Amino acid sequence: MSTTQKPYHFLIRRAHSLLGLVPIGLFLTFHMFLNLTAHGGAEFYDKVIGTMQSVPGIFIIELVVIFIPIAIHAIYGTWVVYTGQSNVLRYKYARNWFYIIQRISGLYTVVFIIIHVYLMRFVEANFSALSAFLSQPLGLILYALGILFAIFHFVNGLWAFAITWGLTIGPHSQKIWMYAMVLVFIFLSAIGLANIAAFL
Amino acid sequence: MAEQKTIRFKIRRQDGPDKPSRWEEFDIPYREKLNVISCLMEIQKNPITAAGAKTTPVVWECNCLEEVCGACAMQINGQGKQACSALIDKLTQPIVLEPLTKFPLVRDLMVDRQIMFDHLKTVHAWIPIDGTYNLGSGPRMPEVTRQWAYELSKCMTCGCCMEACPQVNARSKFMGPSAINQVRLFNAHPTGAMNKHERLAPLLDEGGIADCGNSQNCVRACPKDIPLTTSLADLNRETNKFALDRWLRK
Ligand code: SF4
Ligand code: SF4
Ligand code: FES
Repeated sequence: MSTTQKPYHFLIRRAHSLLGLVPIGLFLTFHMFLNLTAHGGAEFYDKVIGTMQSVPGIFIIELVVIFIPIAIHAIYGTWVVYTGQSNVLRYKYARNWFYIIQRISGLYTVVFIIIHVYLMRFVEANFSALSAFLSQPLGLILYALGILFAIFHFVNGLWAFAITWGLTIGPHSQKIWMYAMVLVFIFLSAIGLANIAAFL
Repeated sequence: MAEQKTIRFKIRRQDGPDKPSRWEEFDIPYREKLNVISCLMEIQKNPITAAGAKTTPVVWECNCLEEVCGACAMQINGQGKQACSALIDKLTQPIVLEPLTKFPLVRDLMVDRQIMFDHLKTVHAWIPIDGTYNLGSGPRMPEVTRQWAYELSKCMTCGCCMEACPQVNARSKFMGPSAINQVRLFNAHPTGAMNKHERLAPLLDEGGIADCGNSQNCVRACPKDIPLTTSLADLNRETNKFALDRWLRK
C-alpha cells in the first residue's frame, strides 16, 4: 500500500478555509457596507470611490489583501469542485444540496468577479457607468446573482469553517451556528440587494 | 381464491467487472416480514425472471443476517443499505437493487470493499498491546468515555457512508468517514491514546480528514447511527492541534 506523504495537503486545505474568512469574507462584508454610500446619490458615491482610489498604495493593498487571496481560494476551490461527485438526486438532504450549491456558487462567483473587476478597473468605475450596466436586464441578473451567490458561498463556508476548525463539534452546536448563519445571510443579502437598488 | 400477491424486484445484473450490465425483473410470492436477502434467496432457488425467462441466480454477499457484519451492503432503491435489515414491508416497489458504486464490482450485487480495510491499516485502527514481557493491565477507561466510544465501535465497515459521501469517488483519494471515525474510537481508549500520533498523522495526508466536504450525508446513511459528523469535527480539532504542535516542535 502506497502512503505517499503529501505534507502540504492539510496545510493547503486549512489555508483555503482560512482565506475564505480572512481576508475574503471580511472584504466582502466591508464591500457590501461601503456600497451603501450609493444611496447618497451619484455625486457622493463617485467621491467615495475617488477617495478609495487615491489611498496611497491602494494597488498593492488590493493585490495582497484581495486579488491574491481570491485567486488562491478560487484556483484551489476549482480543484476541490473537481474532486467531488454530487449525488443529490439519490441523497436529497438539505445539507447535500448546500454541498452542491456551495460549489456552483463558488464557480459562479469567480466568473462574476472577473467580469466585475474588468468593468470596474478597466472600463469605467463610476455611478453612471454601473447604473447603465444595471439597466440592462442581463446585467441586473448577473449582478444580483453574483451578490447573492457570493454571500451564500461566504456564509455557508463560514458554517463549515466552524467544523473545519473544530469549533462546533456536536449536531446541536452545528445547528445553532447554522441558524446564526441564516440570519447573517439574510442581513448581508438585504444590504447587497439594497446596494443594487441604489443604482436603478 | 384471491390472486397471489407478489413483490416486484428490478435488479442490475453484471456477470463480471468488464461485462456489460443489464436489468432483470423478478416477482417473488409475498409473505409477511420478508427482507431483501430472503427474497434474493427465493430468486436463487428459482432463477426465473418476471417475463418467464430462465437466468442465472443473482450473486450477492451476506453473512450475519443481523446487521453486524456489513457484508450485504448494496443500493436499495438508490441508497446504500444493508439488505438483511431492509424490510420489504417498508420499501416502495418495484424494489431496485444495484451494487454499491464506490467499490470495484465483482459480480451482480457483490463488490470488493478491500479499500476500506486498507484505510483502517493506514490509520492504525488497532491498539498495539504485545510486548516481549507481560505488560500488565492497562489504564481503566472512564465510564462516560466508554458510553460514547461504544457507539463508535459499532462500525461494521459496510460502506454505506462511503456510498453516500460525495467526496469518495474515482477522482479523489478520500478515505471516507468510517476510517476517520475509528481514529476517534482508538484514541479515546486509554491504552490506544499512547499511540495517538500514529493515527492522527495519516489524517493529515492526501485522502485524510481535510478532504471531507461537510455534506453530512454519511451520518444520515450509517445503518448503525454512528455520530460520524461529530467524529469528523472532533478530529478536525485534534488534527489542527496536532499539526500545529508538530510543526512548532520542528
Ligand atoms: S460529511 Fe464529509 S465524510 Fe460525511 S458524507 Fe459529507 S463529505 Fe463525506
Ligand atoms: S460508519 Fe456506519 S455506514 Fe460507515 S462503514 Fe461503519 S457502519 Fe457502515
Ligand atoms: S448480512 Fe451482515 S450486515 Fe447484512
